Amino acid sequence: MAETLTTATEDTFREWIQSRAAIEPQWVQERRLAAAEASLRLDWPKLERTPLKKRKLDQISLFPHHSLQPVKSMEPTGAQLSVRWTGGDTVEVSLPESLAERGLVLRPLKDALNFEPVQQYLGTLIGDQDDKITALNAALWTAGTYLYVPPHLPEPIAISLEIDLDAEETALFSRNIVVVGQGSRVLITERLTGDGGHDRMLFSHNSEVFLEAGASVQFGCIQQCPDRVEGFIHRQAQIQNDAHLEWLIGEFGAGLLVGDHVTHLKAPGASTKSITVFFGTGQQHQDFTARSFHHAPYTKSDMVARGVMKGRSRSVFTGLTQIDQGARGSDGRQKEQTLMLSEEARADAIPSLLIDERDVYAAHAASAGPVDKGAIFYLTSRGLTEKEAERMIVHGFLAPVIDGIPIEGLRAEAWQAVERKITHD
Amino acid sequence: MSTPELAIHDLHMQIDDKPILKGLSLTVKGGEIHAIMGPNGTGKTSLAQTLMGHPRYTVTKGQVTLDGDDITVMRTDERARRGLFLAMQYPSEISGVTTANFLRAAINARRGEGNNISLKEFRDRLDEAMRFLDMDPKFANRYLNEGFSGGEKKRNEILQMLMLKPRIAILDEIDSGLDIDAIKVVGKGVNSLKGPDFGALIITHYQRILDYVKPDVVHIMVDGRIVKSGNANLAAELDKKGYEWVRNELAKSAGQA
Repeated sequence: MAETLTTATEDTFREWIQSRAAIEPQWVQERRLAAAEASLRLDWPKLERTPLKKRKLDQISLFPHHSLQPVKSMEPTGAQLSVRWTGGDTVEVSLPESLAERGLVLRPLKDALNFEPVQQYLGTLIGDQDDKITALNAALWTAGTYLYVPPHLPEPIAISLEIDLDAEETALFSRNIVVVGQGSRVLITERLTGDGGHDRMLFSHNSEVFLEAGASVQFGCIQQCPDRVEGFIHRQAQIQNDAHLEWLIGEFGAGLLVGDHVTHLKAPGASTKSITVFFGTGQQHQDFTARSFHHAPYTKSDMVARGVMKGRSRSVFTGLTQIDQGARGSDGRQKEQTLMLSEEARADAIPSLLIDERDVYAAHAASAGPVDKGAIFYLTSRGLTEKEAERMIVHGFLAPVIDGIPIEGLRAEAWQAVERKITHD
Repeated sequence: MSTPELAIHDLHMQIDDKPILKGLSLTVKGGEIHAIMGPNGTGKTSLAQTLMGHPRYTVTKGQVTLDGDDITVMRTDERARRGLFLAMQYPSEISGVTTANFLRAAINARRGEGNNISLKEFRDRLDEAMRFLDMDPKFANRYLNEGFSGGEKKRNEILQMLMLKPRIAILDEIDSGLDIDAIKVVGKGVNSLKGPDFGALIITHYQRILDYVKPDVVHIMVDGRIVKSGNANLAAELDKKGYEWVRNELAKSAGQA
């Protein structure tokens, strides 16, 4: 189906959705149909500094190819935990048998629908009908992973999630559900990649993350989608007592990227830290939002973002730390810094604090500025070329955040991505 | 390598149409220490930055050659790789880059591809230079100049000079804001490089540093020109009589002309 939002009708959606009726439960079908109707009615998200109208997203062919058969290769295969999507449809899953026996579930979300309590989680953090893009995702999702980690696993679990965008596709909608039981520790590394392709592609990827008491999760994501991608990546988490979540996000790819990560600290002792590194080159446009909500006393959040803008790229980083009335003893911080390497690049950093409780600590800092010409002169006066000097300054600028990423492989990949952006774009 | 020679001939320079250097000439050769003294605002720092190729300054007339090659057409990094060094009055702070990593990159930039200095050799040389300058070894792993005191920054400039072994070094107000012990260390650093392969141009407002680095030639600079040159005694005389004396002398000779 080469239909776009301009040409599609409710019937187009219905036909696509009902073709999946054999492989998914009734409630999913109903949710999809309701979201489809909403997607035709709702507007694109309203972003003050990212006008989406100009991008003509409704002219992109919308309906992903999808297999009507359930995925077969579901046998636990390897020693690693991983889910790898190629295109929107083909998936390889690897899960050690010993972990499956102890109750750990790792499978494509579409195959989990009939066997796992997906309904309890799906769409509870990211609504089905917030705007056109969330509605499209709720109506047309095919890819994504369901991960359930049982409570009290003694050893930390490392999981790799990969989505490799198909060069032939022009749309992919995916969603992850991650549930981590009491006291368990999980380290997730997600990679969003894709090579080739010419036509613009609409990619919407949503993750909903639930941490039970005392759970600890490091959720790392490195996004290196091709330029043709118009990406919308939403991440939301809900955290219970004494649980700790770290977002470690590296955004490097996609022509347009609208990304957010939102954390709800629901109970005392919950804490979150987030590190976002972004690097824009060429004509890339990146619009990030990070939000920390302190709903309970003695909760903690620390948000750090650093970005580099080169060429004619453009970024917006909006941070919000909100501390509710009654969340006494909470501690919320944020710091956003952007470095611009060219006169044509533009970056905005917009921090904000919303504090409804007196007995708290809250702080924010933000800056966006050009690279220091005096520093370039200083470094070149020691024999470094201007290019080497610029690279050194960028490295120095990003080092405190990238070197703070606790997952070694992810850290190395982030540096590689930075290196590529500095030299090639 | 042959004895270096930095020759400045009739140099005119301006910033945004405002003339700063108005026909300055002097020559520094290997084995020589020159001092330039002059009142504030006379163009001393502008001269230093022009020689190093700061993009803000436009040379409108005259030549600057290093070993006979015109350097005014070269980029700053090319001048550096040919052996020119500028110890800056206000060194930049580079966050996230350690002094050691920076120095290693700078040394390797001079040595060319495939000929990088070994980590061991680099470490040994760095340790030795830091010991020589009485520097805490921890400085090597601190971010370049970030949070350094004025004195620490100046010492770091001298450390870089010792490590990079320039052929001609320009020291711009290296003594400003330093106590006497730090000035002695700076002097020790410069003197250690003295020899036929090294020449220095020390730009200073005060005579003080020249007690520790004996100049062979002292130039007095006023209004974008060298107005008087002499031996080390000239610095002492200037210190005693002040810049007013130079101005009066100038006015007198202008009257006679």
